[in-house]
Amino acid sequence: MGKPTGFMEYTRELPARRPVAERVNDFQEVYEEFPEQKLRLQGARCMDCGVPFCHTGCPLSNVIPDWNDLVYRDRWRDAVRALHATNNFPEFTGRICPAPCEAACVLGINSPPVTIKNIEKEIIEHAFREGWIRPEIPSHRTGKRAAVVGSGPSGLAAAQQLNRAGHWVTVFEKADRIGGLLRYGIPDFKLEKSILDRRLEQMTREGVVFKTRKHIGHDVLVEELAGDFDAILLAGGAESPRDLKVPGRELEGIHFAMEYLPQQNRHVAGDTMAGQILATGRHVVIIGGGDTGADCLGTAHRQKPKSVHQFEIMPMPPLDRSASTPWPLWPLQLRTESAHEEGGTRDWAVATTMFSGDENGHVKQLHGIGVGPPPKFEAIAGTEFTVEADLVLIAMGFLGPVRNGMLEALGVKFDARGNVECDANHMTSIPGVFAAGDMRRGQSLVVWAIAEGRQAARGIDKYLMGETRLR
Amino acid sequence: MNEQNRNLYTLRGLLDFKPAGPPVPIEEVEPAREIVKRFATGAMSFGSISKEAHETLAIAMNRIGGRSNTGEGGEDEARFRPDPNGDLRRSAVKQVASARFGVTTNYLVNADDLQIKIAQGAKPGEGGQLPGHKVSDDIARVRHSIPGVGLISPPPHHDIYSIEDLAQLIYDLKNVNPQARISVKLVAESGVGTVAAGVAKAHADVILICGYDGGTGASPISSIRHAGIPWELGLSETQQVLVMNDLRSRVRLQVDGKLQSGRDVAIAALLGAEEFGFATTPLISLGCIMMRKCHLNTCPVGVATQDPELRKRFKGQPEHVINFLFYLAEDLRQIMAGLGFRTVDEMVGRVDCLVERHDVGHWKARGLDLSSVLYNPPVPTRVGRRCLTKQDHGLESALDHKLIDHAREALERGAPVTLNLPISNTHRTVGAMLSGEIARRYGSEGLPDDTIRFDFNGSAGQSFGAFLAKGVTMVLEGEANDYVGKGLSGGKLVVYPPRTSSFQPEENILVGNVVLYGATSGEAYFNGMAGERFAVRNSGATAVVEAVGDHGCEYMTRGTVVVLGKTGRNFAAGMTGGTAYVLDETGEFAKVRCNRASVDLEPVTDGRGRACPTLDQGAASRPPTDAELIALLIARHAELTGSPRAKWILDNWDTMLPKFVKVFPHEYKRVLAQATAPAAVAASVAPTFRSAGGTSEGADLKVGATSVGAVVAPVTREALGG
Repeated sequence: MGKPTGFMEYTRELPARRPVAERVNDFQEVYEEFPEQKLRLQGARCMDCGVPFCHTGCPLSNVIPDWNDLVYRDRWRDAVRALHATNNFPEFTGRICPAPCEAACVLGINSPPVTIKNIEKEIIEHAFREGWIRPEIPSHRTGKRAAVVGSGPSGLAAAQQLNRAGHWVTVFEKADRIGGLLRYGIPDFKLEKSILDRRLEQMTREGVVFKTRKHIGHDVLVEELAGDFDAILLAGGAESPRDLKVPGRELEGIHFAMEYLPQQNRHVAGDTMAGQILATGRHVVIIGGGDTGADCLGTAHRQKPKSVHQFEIMPMPPLDRSASTPWPLWPLQLRTESAHEEGGTRDWAVATTMFSGDENGHVKQLHGIGVGPPPKFEAIAGTEFTVEADLVLIAMGFLGPVRNGMLEALGVKFDARGNVECDANHMTSIPGVFAAGDMRRGQSLVVWAIAEGRQAARGIDKYLMGETRLR
Repeated sequence: MNEQNRNLYTLRGLLDFKPAGPPVPIEEVEPAREIVKRFATGAMSFGSISKEAHETLAIAMNRIGGRSNTGEGGEDEARFRPDPNGDLRRSAVKQVASARFGVTTNYLVNADDLQIKIAQGAKPGEGGQLPGHKVSDDIARVRHSIPGVGLISPPPHHDIYSIEDLAQLIYDLKNVNPQARISVKLVAESGVGTVAAGVAKAHADVILICGYDGGTGASPISSIRHAGIPWELGLSETQQVLVMNDLRSRVRLQVDGKLQSGRDVAIAALLGAEEFGFATTPLISLGCIMMRKCHLNTCPVGVATQDPELRKRFKGQPEHVINFLFYLAEDLRQIMAGLGFRTVDEMVGRVDCLVERHDVGHWKARGLDLSSVLYNPPVPTRVGRRCLTKQDHGLESALDHKLIDHAREALERGAPVTLNLPISNTHRTVGAMLSGEIARRYGSEGLPDDTIRFDFNGSAGQSFGAFLAKGVTMVLEGEANDYVGKGLSGGKLVVYPPRTSSFQPEENILVGNVVLYGATSGEAYFNGMAGERFAVRNSGATAVVEAVGDHGCEYMTRGTVVVLGKTGRNFAAGMTGGTAYVLDETGEFAKVRCNRASVDLEPVTDGRGRACPTLDQGAASRPPTDAELIALLIARHAELTGSPRAKWILDNWDTMLPKFVKVFPHEYKRVLAQATAPAAVAASVAPTFRSAGGTSEGADLKVGATSVGAVVAPVTREALGG
């Protein structure tokens, strides 16, 4: 818990962000170094609550007070052990998780919460620096084979867990590199890909087999999969984007966020490509005020646009925690990401009515209007506006898994929201076929994906062996 | 909570309801605002929780007609008067617990219920402990203790060693505040029914049965987890025993122990309870998030801490508690409507409306037989199953009626009155009812010293001078029984043997056991021997006695005691404050009699070894030295009682002074050493005397080589021979 009086003596402190002018010139990490001595004091702020609400805030049920205390006491090895007890990839969540744990932190009731996310990140980085992260090769193999479709965080977590339980795991990824959204989607300045590669190296050494450019249902038929493997986990994500069906949608220069972002990831990785969608010198409008929109914003800034607007249809959230989401719930509250600090403007409660283009069929302007609150979003007369827009990025969320072959071929049942339906053990309507992550939940967070992957691994292990010791 | 019940975490989870009749429309069920009057909040002391939390609870309960409880910590007198906005912060239930913290006469008269805490559900058979770092200036003041000194409540009440003793205490409290209900808090345990029957016979107005679930900031973890039994068992046993012995109709039964829903309250009522206590849930409604750090004083939401910075974070409002209790009452009304009950009164004791569940799948439940819990004793219809009458406390025969009558001028105008009258041992608790009248009119200020003077002759009954208020002087020629000066609140007691007696006073018992228990201020002079536990839990009185039995000054926290002769063993056990001076002629006291665990023994000197027995406190430039104080007290003792021993000691002062031993508690010593103005601390706890006078003869008292008049004279270096 650190010191009983730590929360009264030390204030919340996070590493500083690199100056905006500097950081928009590259795609490297935004945060500066944070001395370990300071981090230990941050750990001391933890109060070791009799009822640790952080546990329930965290989808992984990370044993947060334990490793806060261990950090305070300079026991880093024990800390990383405690961390890995519940989280396969603390280096990811420590960078990109929105930290519902901090929203549930008891200290957060009337003071700034404990910097749980940063402590998590520093623990795992310390461990990697010290070389403590070695492959954990299972002592014996079960002889069972599991196929994981999709190499995003849920697929990877499940793969690592199943492998450690002794099964032979092969991960199929339709793209050319492993990682799912971790690789292609999340900008490099939020998650440098070397971090991902570092973990994949451990997994490869542990015995997980990765196969890229294998699109199940196309390059590999589901029947082959079913024949070669004892269990299949579907972790293909929820890639189907919500579209904006307004006049002018078909004009050039209007793209889904997920067409735009992965290209920049490839560019940073050194790939050359023709016709990369670039914000350079353009008037950019991002439709969608969520995390994906913020990712587009940061990426656009680094491509040196002429202007950037971000539009959101919901009203502006309150500056302080909304009364409708009291502690310990995830607050409805205005969030300012690092990307927002870098420039651009945000507008709330606006909707797009149409796009108009130039003589070449390229979008030139976006026309919109102010709207009232949900659920009607009624247009407010007299608030019509027009902005210059020659690059429009649609980041309006994702509706569910894409149905372009695999799911239909398997014949799995869907729930009312269009996600793959599963029982309490993550098994779909097809015996031996499981689902996890966004494919089962609909679009969600990386931390949920990891939790899903771990839980699905439990279900699969139980299915294959009759019982499981995975947690 | 109901889900937990369903999941078999509680006994009440194994029960189901059986309607008494067809359901009634909810509009016909008594309204929630009547039901909440039966609700009380648990006894959580100011000390365990913050001032803000404690007062908010009081305001909330007072607004709805329920009751909040002081707990063991006394109460700040400022809370007895309503606030400008009409809110009242006064706790309706005032607890009299084993340490008698803050139990003064004024405390007792400002109460609706006086609750004798025999035990506490979460730690049956144990006292509590408030760590020294949680005893702030405020708390020390309200508890009549010293800031920074840890406070221990002894396990038993030292005046309750039998059911008759309890009856005596009930009588004592009822005398002080005849309008208050006297409530006795028992813990659920096997045999509590028998205890409750005794308590009912001892004339308690209310009996509270406490379950084991009580969360407490002052329990050892072993007790929280492993001691006590559920309230369902204690309550059902109590109800059955009281009904079977036709004692039920004269007491009100109250229950508590993690009641959290209308269902819990309904089951409690059906098992026999008429009033219901809640502690954890009101605290949670005020912001408690069950950090379990109460004992560290770091509660981050300002509920269970004394730290001023953390108390600022307290966000609880009376409305929060009130809303919760009203919602709970509405929940209860739904259940009542479904069962066919219109009033809670109809439900009390209707155990025939409870049945064991048969859908319990758990293998452990297979052998369970709850029939003894659900037993409905067959008794004639004239035997009530709930409270129908009041207890007869027998107050009409109290001697105090005569005293009050005679003291009317004093009570109304402060005019001095005196009276001589005989006393016999059937006159118990003499002086308490009169003191209650004084406190009602004059608060803890009382009347000027010696305004009311009674001279008794004879053998006084139990609790002579109990809770005697300031302004009353009672002189007794004869002897007294136990509990003399219990709860002394500023009054003056003088006892000496009959003038015609021929025995040596210092070698004969004059007063009984547990004298001055929980005294908070005042003076007492005993020309004779006292029994066991003299001045136990003394919190500020001054006393002179000529010998004591075992366990003298046990758990004392403040005050001054002078013993002019032998003590029994285990003197000063658990003593954490105040000072005692013992005349140790043989050396036996220092060697074997005194319990040295919490005290140091020091010789008494004041540089020159000279005493100046007259001291006008108001004019003094400094507090008296130990030797001066002892001499002064002995001189007063001699003057008021005519004690031959006292006179002899003063005559032989130079040889006797070196034989006195000062009993100085470690904690008290530490606090004095740390204080920035130790003289001020010492002065604040030193006894104050308005005058050395009192003898009508004005005779000179010889003290060694210095002859002293009875006239007040300031202390000067010259007078000390310096």
